[in-house]
Amino acid sequence: QDLAKKNTANRQVVEARRRLLQEWLAWRESMIQMLKEEGAEIELNNGKVRTDHDGEVEEIE
Amino acid sequence: MRPILLSGHERALTQVKYSPDGDIIFSVSKDHVVCAWFSHNGERLGTYHGHQGALWTVDVDPTSTLLATGGADNTMRLWKVETGELLMTWDFPTAVKRVEFSPDGRQLLGVTEKRSGHLGTIVVFDINPDPAAKQSKEHSLRIVCEDSKATVAGFSYLARYIIAGHEDGSVSQFDAKTGELLFNTQAHEEDMQVTDLQWSQDRTYFITASKDKTAKILAADSLEVLKTYTADTPLNSAAITPVKDYVILGGGQAAMDVTTTSARQGKFEARFYHKIFQEEIGRVRGHFGPLNYVAVHPAGTGYCSGGEDGYVRVHHFDKPYFDFMYEVEREYAQAQAQANL
Repeated sequence: QDLAKKNTANRQVVEARRRLLQEWLAWRESMIQMLKEEGAEIELNNGKVRTDHDGEVEEIE
Repeated sequence: MRPILLSGHERALTQVKYSPDGDIIFSVSKDHVVCAWFSHNGERLGTYHGHQGALWTVDVDPTSTLLATGGADNTMRLWKVETGELLMTWDFPTAVKRVEFSPDGRQLLGVTEKRSGHLGTIVVFDINPDPAAKQSKEHSLRIVCEDSKATVAGFSYLARYIIAGHEDGSVSQFDAKTGELLFNTQAHEEDMQVTDLQWSQDRTYFITASKDKTAKILAADSLEVLKTYTADTPLNSAAITPVKDYVILGGGQAAMDVTTTSARQGKFEARFYHKIFQEEIGRVRGHFGPLNYVAVHPAGTGYCSGGEDGYVRVHHFDKPYFDFMYEVEREYAQAQAQANL
């Protein structure tokens, strides 16, 4: 009986974490969507400012 | 997780910051000196001399070109990172407790102290990112904190809001263009000072630390408290880790406030909590005094802490740190992996 109680308790804890994780991920998704709509380049690049040197391909003639 | 000890400061550390690439750590201390260190081996790269009093704050711009500092000599200063050259000094009637660049580095804010005859303020300056350029002497915005002085402040995503933490435990949201107060919320216990405010990488949310022994995550746009982390000691600092969903809290009771002599009483440990589940998952010991600041490597590979004991301790995370997952996180990761097949 004790074991059954413990299992139920554990299940509830896991269930609560699952809910917290889903809520968080859903909120994060909404924020990323908002940043995309706002064209927030630096923010969507993890706060890094792209410099002139990034992704620049040197052309050889 | 063997730490590297940075010893070079002669007094308590007040703030430590990683450069955007994470290769350099900047530290400021009550000893008036700004230090730069290589984060991978702890070698000292250089010092920035000029301040005439205790230093309270440091920040580096997003291109690692400009460094801003503030201190008890009532100045905010701008330095060229590479050479240590002092580019600009702004004078105020009171100490500068906090400086922070905007996400694009084109604005710099300073939080000034309250003292008889002077209310606390948040001042904003436009910054020319070219170190050879002349910087503006005049502020572009000045917010006067009439109710409770600001202790910490920073720019949200897109520099839309200035968010400030106050001496009375509240958090404010200002329009960063007009300076208008949009919202104020009593996020922490009344009259329990907000001691730190650090951003998530995309600046849509931030973490505050308080003397009320808690740290909280708030949304930048709604100021809703999303998460609370409860510690057993007053907190001086809180940081959010990228890559893994953790937060790191630092604090501890100053020796003169501790009534018993047990070393444990000081609780000079960095505490790790799971960011989403709000549960404590580990502690790192080492400092001999309160942790005044914790900073996380921008790539999430390590962290450093600055202590009242005068040391900076740099930690590189090892494999178990990255491997640790809650059951439900593993479930989610597996589901994601399946979906991507």
